[in-house]
Amino acid sequence: MAKLIGGLGSSHVPSIGAAMDKGLTQTDDWKPFFDGIGPGRDWVAANKPDVAVVVFNDHGNSFFLDKVPTFAIGCAEHYDPIDEGWGPRAIPSFEGHAELGWHMIDRMVENRFDPMIVQEIEVDHGLQVPMELFFGKPDKAWPVKVVPVFVNVIQYPIPLPSRCYELGQVLRRAIESFPGDERVVVIGTGGLSHQLQGARAGFTNPEADREFLRDIAANPGRLAALSREDYVRLFGSEGAELMMWLVMRGAMDPEVVVKHSHYYVPASMTGAGMLVLENRAA
Amino acid sequence: MEDRIPDTPLFDRSRQRRGYRLNKMAMGLVDPANRDAFRSDEDAYLDRFGLSDEEKQAVKTRNWQEMVRLGGNVFYILKISAISPARMTEIGAHQAGMDHDTFLRERLGKKPAGGQ
Repeated sequence: MAKLIGGLGSSHVPSIGAAMDKGLTQTDDWKPFFDGIGPGRDWVAANKPDVAVVVFNDHGNSFFLDKVPTFAIGCAEHYDPIDEGWGPRAIPSFEGHAELGWHMIDRMVENRFDPMIVQEIEVDHGLQVPMELFFGKPDKAWPVKVVPVFVNVIQYPIPLPSRCYELGQVLRRAIESFPGDERVVVIGTGGLSHQLQGARAGFTNPEADREFLRDIAANPGRLAALSREDYVRLFGSEGAELMMWLVMRGAMDPEVVVKHSHYYVPASMTGAGMLVLENRAA
Repeated sequence: MEDRIPDTPLFDRSRQRRGYRLNKMAMGLVDPANRDAFRSDEDAYLDRFGLSDEEKQAVKTRNWQEMVRLGGNVFYILKISAISPARMTEIGAHQAGMDHDTFLRERLGKKPAGGQ
């Protein structure tokens, strides 16, 4: 059966991608963030996953408001990067693991999650940036296949944090009942604190971000029990993205080991983080 | 409309319904042909989406604060900045009612001459 080898967390700030595209990673604004991603890349290189299940939200690129799935699972053979309006970025297409995607959908429905099934879609910076941070930007092909898990965190009603955590628990059972020998990582993406809208724009909360990075490993139940409004109050209107890390955490054992944790603020207008978890028993 | 969390517009039902056409217009700009149409005749492009005079005025003056007030969501209206360049921090500063340097310093802890 496939094996879950780790849970990863990463911001997906689009300007992180732009900084890499423009060669700005060593500037005063960006160096403190990029200096801290090495151990995450090293962990991935040493542990050689075959598949990345990437939990992220589309940012008004592949989905408009005409159709808003609360949860959607990709079961396509490939996913092209989307043109978000500035022209396409020069990064390779992502190879999908369609069979695992279908298997996850089967197990979800049997466990009373009812996702949208997606066979053709392009993916935005929400998936691209975490993949670039952990795997680097390859010239031709990514070293892993992906299964995109889309979560609506833009159009209310967005799902409950506790529901995201439960989804992770279902995905764990799905991954470990998949007939294959794939080594799988789940990547929770988004956040950390940021607010792009309203008079509180520019709000960040470094103290809450650091508590989040600590508790997502040691006390995820506390974070799953918070309300959606708690997330917005603590982490800003777009900081509600952080509940997607609970999907990753729900897929892991109750007891985990923190292999890497990194935080820097601000990345553009956002508290930026990276996290690597392993199951203690692994 | 009262914000439950101060100065923090949640993209709830009333906001998204109010801003639907505005956001749809901006979403259209992911298509290069629509970007060209916007550039060559902005009024005609905006009229295709049935925008009100108030909405058109907010777009044409690049009034980010007002676009958000009218139900615009930054993830959609940001696409206008691919045509009229504006950094995210400038759009943030405008909504916060601050000049850019003050916003970078007070909200993001940057030194005054800082960029993005």
